[in-house]
Amino acid sequence: MDIKYGVAATFNSAKDIYDAAGKVREEGFKNWECYTPIPVHGLDAQMGVGRSKVPCFTLAGGITGFFTGTLLVWFMNYYDYPLIVGGKPYFSMIYPFPVFYELTILFAAFGTLFGMFFLNRLPQHNHPIFEHPSFGRTGDDKYMIVIEIEDPKFDDEETPEFLKTVGGKSITMIRESIE
Amino acid sequence: MSEVAKKDTDLKLLAGAVLGLAIGLVGLFLGLSSGDKAPFLGWLWGCSFWLSIAIGMLMLVMIFRVFNSRWTPVVRRQLEHGLAAFPWLGLCFAPLLLVALFGGDNAGILWSWINPDSPTVDGITVATDVLHQKKAGYLNLYFFSLRIILYFAVFCGLSHWMRKVSFTQDQDGDPKWSHLGMKVSAIGIPATALALTFGAFDMFMSLEYQWFSTMYGVWFFSSGMRAALAITILGCLFLLKKGTLTGIYKQAHQYDLACLSLAFTVFWAYISFSQYFLIYSANIPEETFWYNIREINPNTGETSAWFWVSMGLIFGHFFFPFLYLLFYKNKINGGRIAFIALWILAFHLLDLYWNIIPGREIVPGAYVGYEARPVLGFHLFWGISTLIGVGCLCVRAVRQSFNSNVAELIPVRDPRILDSLNHHE
Repeated sequence: MDIKYGVAATFNSAKDIYDAAGKVREEGFKNWECYTPIPVHGLDAQMGVGRSKVPCFTLAGGITGFFTGTLLVWFMNYYDYPLIVGGKPYFSMIYPFPVFYELTILFAAFGTLFGMFFLNRLPQHNHPIFEHPSFGRTGDDKYMIVIEIEDPKFDDEETPEFLKTVGGKSITMIRESIE
Repeated sequence: MSEVAKKDTDLKLLAGAVLGLAIGLVGLFLGLSSGDKAPFLGWLWGCSFWLSIAIGMLMLVMIFRVFNSRWTPVVRRQLEHGLAAFPWLGLCFAPLLLVALFGGDNAGILWSWINPDSPTVDGITVATDVLHQKKAGYLNLYFFSLRIILYFAVFCGLSHWMRKVSFTQDQDGDPKWSHLGMKVSAIGIPATALALTFGAFDMFMSLEYQWFSTMYGVWFFSSGMRAALAITILGCLFLLKKGTLTGIYKQAHQYDLACLSLAFTVFWAYISFSQYFLIYSANIPEETFWYNIREINPNTGETSAWFWVSMGLIFGHFFFPFLYLLFYKNKINGGRIAFIALWILAFHLLDLYWNIIPGREIVPGAYVGYEARPVLGFHLFWGISTLIGVGCLCVRAVRQSFNSNVAELIPVRDPRILDSLNHHE
């Protein structure tokens, strides 16, 4: 048995897919993707994709790290086991600052790495798009737009027709087999 | 702009330079006759602001060259015009060196160690101070003068070469100039790094010759880079607004320069904090006095006005620009980035002020034998006039280079020019 994943259309040049992507965006589709063998500059903006949300995770991680460091030093050196080292106070913002910023950087890096994995859902062992018989050519000489069945505007008949009108060739329904 | 208007601006700048420098020179003369240090400190402060920017620009040009970077030629050309200021900066520093060499009894007016009879805060003279005796092999007038001349020779020579390779390529289009530029930069970066490090030691650190910090040169480098990036951003935005760089200076260039600004903001904070942190941790009197006079009145232990300047630097020169530049929109929006570039320049000026002005003035009756020089004083007045004078002189030199036919608007025959024009995020 299999279920539908989405409908794919191929294009022959960067210009074709760039123009087509604009029309797909204008049509109001949300769950769709472009596959290209080379980086096409400006395609993100043409697709209406905003900036990455990863920096938010970085900032959150950095702030968490800073306060973790502060709490760590305060708890150990001021609260749990007060100890004078080198004539410095039990707790101040100066002498343990390297601990604060090292933890800021560490947690910011964690936030970036895991935030990225969270947002792009990697690692992913398989993807329904691989069922497309000539998907490999998007790594060579073909450009492809895939509109997913998940999209609220997806329609079994109209969407393939629409892809044809924006210049898409070899309209193919991608089906994912499930056991 | 018409030729008449160009000439008009040129004359205005020249008038500003003559007026500012004349007031500064009158100050130096008065200071020399009365033994007052304030005009000399002001002069040093006013000159060093522009010098730090020029050094930062030279470093940027050579870094762009040595990495053979693709996005930079469009920006690099504007920086190369900026390098035209170096010979004038050398001229502006000359009075200080002349006073040191031929000042007679007042030769040590700015750098007290130059005069062996200068009294020290410990109640002895420089000649009998072991902290100077041990450094005398390095800190002596002739070696010092030779070094100052050498630093400016390095700066002027390298900026001449960086301009020459770039401008000649405009005419003959020979890629060999790009290769030569890379080679000169590969030698020029360490040479400039040494010159600016020892220059900071000689010109600023030796104002209190008993104090020492090996991070001082890096501090000067990081401040200069921040100021140079701020000026570069403002210059490019100015040319963009005039329509000169329309369609050439793009959002991507703007974004990358702003990212570099953010990086050097963090670097400046890292260096400045590290210097404080090491001296704070070691807690040795020969080093801590330098921070004490920037925090407290050494005789009473009360917080002084310098404390608030120091706090201003921590929050105004680091935290605010750092948090501000984290946001993407603040980096690409012209108005927003211009605001923070001006902000950074203002605080860079304050940072130099904080580094140069405070010092120990010997007051015989005082509890510790000296008083810290106050935040406000005549040094500020003399400093601002020099600042304006040197600034007008430098801007005039850069404008003349820009308006002359010495080079195209952008390096049109640079092998990387298309990459730079098509730069994107």
